[in-house]
Amino acid sequence: MRRIIERLARFFKRSLQARWVASTLVLSAIALVSVGGFLSYSIGSGLFDTRLQQVLKDGERAVVDVQNTFTAASELDPVSLQSMMNTVVPNLENTSASDSRLVALLRSPNQDLNQNLQSPVSLGLDLNLIPEALRTEVRKAGSKLVYKSVALPFNGISHPGLIVGSQVDIPVAGAYELYLVYDLQSAQQTLDFVQSTLVFGGIVMILILGAVSFYVTGRIVRPVKIAASVASELAAQNLEPRIKVVGEDVIADLGRSFNIMADRMQAKIGELSELSRMQQRFVADVSHELRTPLTTIKLSAALLENKVDELSPAAAKNLHKLQGQVSRFEDLLNDLLEISRYDAMTVVPEFEIEDLNGTVGMALANIQVLADSKDCRLVVDIPAGPVEAEFDPRRIDRVLRNLLSNAIEHGAGEPIHVSVGQNENAVAVTIMDHGSGMSPAEVRQVFDRFWRADKARRRTTGGTGLGMSISLADAQIHNGWLQVISKPKRGTMFRLTLPRKQGVSFTQSPLPLNIPEVTK
Amino acid sequence: MMNKKILVVEDEAELNESLVEWLRDGGFEAKGVEDGADAYPTFLEYKPDLVLLDVQLPHVTGVEIAKLIRREYGTPIIMLTAKTEAEDIVAGLEAGADDYVRKPFDHNELMARIKARLRERNVPEKAVLTLGELTIDIAGHEVRKDGQRISLTPLEFNLLQTLVEKPGSVFSREELLVKVWGYQFKHDDKFKPDTRLVNVHVQRLRSKIEADPDTPQFVLTERGVGYKAGSV
Repeated sequence: MRRIIERLARFFKRSLQARWVASTLVLSAIALVSVGGFLSYSIGSGLFDTRLQQVLKDGERAVVDVQNTFTAASELDPVSLQSMMNTVVPNLENTSASDSRLVALLRSPNQDLNQNLQSPVSLGLDLNLIPEALRTEVRKAGSKLVYKSVALPFNGISHPGLIVGSQVDIPVAGAYELYLVYDLQSAQQTLDFVQSTLVFGGIVMILILGAVSFYVTGRIVRPVKIAASVASELAAQNLEPRIKVVGEDVIADLGRSFNIMADRMQAKIGELSELSRMQQRFVADVSHELRTPLTTIKLSAALLENKVDELSPAAAKNLHKLQGQVSRFEDLLNDLLEISRYDAMTVVPEFEIEDLNGTVGMALANIQVLADSKDCRLVVDIPAGPVEAEFDPRRIDRVLRNLLSNAIEHGAGEPIHVSVGQNENAVAVTIMDHGSGMSPAEVRQVFDRFWRADKARRRTTGGTGLGMSISLADAQIHNGWLQVISKPKRGTMFRLTLPRKQGVSFTQSPLPLNIPEVTK
Repeated sequence: MMNKKILVVEDEAELNESLVEWLRDGGFEAKGVEDGADAYPTFLEYKPDLVLLDVQLPHVTGVEIAKLIRREYGTPIIMLTAKTEAEDIVAGLEAGADDYVRKPFDHNELMARIKARLRERNVPEKAVLTLGELTIDIAGHEVRKDGQRISLTPLEFNLLQTLVEKPGSVFSREELLVKVWGYQFKHDDKFKPDTRLVNVHVQRLRSKIEADPDTPQFVLTERGVGYKAGSV
């Protein structure tokens, strides 16, 4: 039962149309009940009043007739009187079931005159129906008419009734009371009929209103529904669907404006993706076109190199300069191409489950020559066991080499500390130098393209100025972090944190990002 | 011994000329072809010991030339490519190239690769190796399976020989690149080498010698490490 209620509640919450129809039904039902109640009441009281007037007129005529009959009587002996009295009831009564009038001629109590005349009463009239209070009232009212509403039992059900009473003076016999009991069942039937018609009409009305509101809200909700579904299609990047517009009304306006919006959006998106595709192709083409001449230059330099003995010392020096710059040009070309791949979002990393210790070890081994040339010690702190994680080893290797060569370059010959750590959801590497460090303003720029930490100092290890941007992009495509902290005169620490498995999120890096006071 | 002959197929005239000159400096005989359409006829006529093949050629692409050559000859092919996207490289390798270098290549690296492809491997004391129903005649450069001769390119032969000479020991892909392809790893390489080269050639070797390449018996994959010869 509760489940049904919950489901119903959910249905109402989700269906705009159901809510509209339901509220229309509730409000119109309230309106119909009040109007119907009022109508039924006023018709009822109108019917009663009409009938009452009839009854009173009728009663008065009857009373006058009876009084006149007795007043005009010439023979006043008991037998004649009794027979006259006996004619009163059949003359006045009308026994048709729906509109019956029953009659009673009762002698008023407490009279001195001793009479033995019988009080005639209609067959089937229970004298208990005539309340004592009414009789008292009749006696007080004299010849005026008095009436009272009563309920008449009739075959087990009760009919509404009216009793009209008045005093009648019968010569010799004394004061009598004439009572006429009217059955108002026919008026009640009319009222019942009117009421049932009202109820039936009301129900039909509510059903029609329900249907109408269902239809109307359906008409209004349907375009909204269509617009909603088309909008969600657009949100899901399917730019094709449009709203079918019919007519000139506000709904049609909505549809038209929506379609125009979608057209513009599609055109803009198309334009942008075309631009991005063109730019991407341009970069690829440029790099491709540059590659072949660059190869020729390199090869020509190599051919010259083979004959370096025949060159003058100045020419040989220039040859080496040429070779150095060509190789720098090549690095720049590769880095530019890589950055443009990231910009165009065409990078597809190849994730493998690997031991991060191994990758770090390989990067350290590869950088050893450079470290030795700078007389720089590499201090390594890695966990004993394997540190397995899912990453693209080629990209992470590149990040590590970049961070290591930067650390060596800026480390002022002090030892470089490399640590590997792991927790449940993440693995991390930190690389810390004890060089001159960077100011907070410099730290903010460290991942910017072509930004160099120390413009004044001559670069000794090459580098394109794109290394850090690429490293950051490499970390991000792993859903990882590449963070930096730096203290002037104390050094710089980079921390690379990667999720243990792609799709697993982490909130904390296994290694702290801070530069201890004394670590020498 | 006569100098080894190298055919250079490269549409950029300047580069072609430099390559030919550089190869001659390096002690090879060399001939340059600029038009892809001339490449195969020249190949048939010149009978080179190795082909340096540019991938992007007008008229007939390097991939098509490699396929043509591979239909009949195992002559080593090293592709030169200016493209950097992985699928272009894989297409070249699948067409039958033994190796590839990206422009702008390091000439020393290319020389090492060329020499690795042309090196006559020392014939060991045990000149005939067996692995299950495979018989590998190193001196005769011949592999037979159940007496049936299987035609392998020199590279495939080298790969198989390298694995079988040390049965049971696992070779990493990097190791194989050094031993079979003549790669020289340097500390300043931007990237770890592309080990897909090894995967492609192992697949091709398997398709020639294995009864069912999907469940190999002779060349086994050691997950996460590399490859080894089966112990059949």
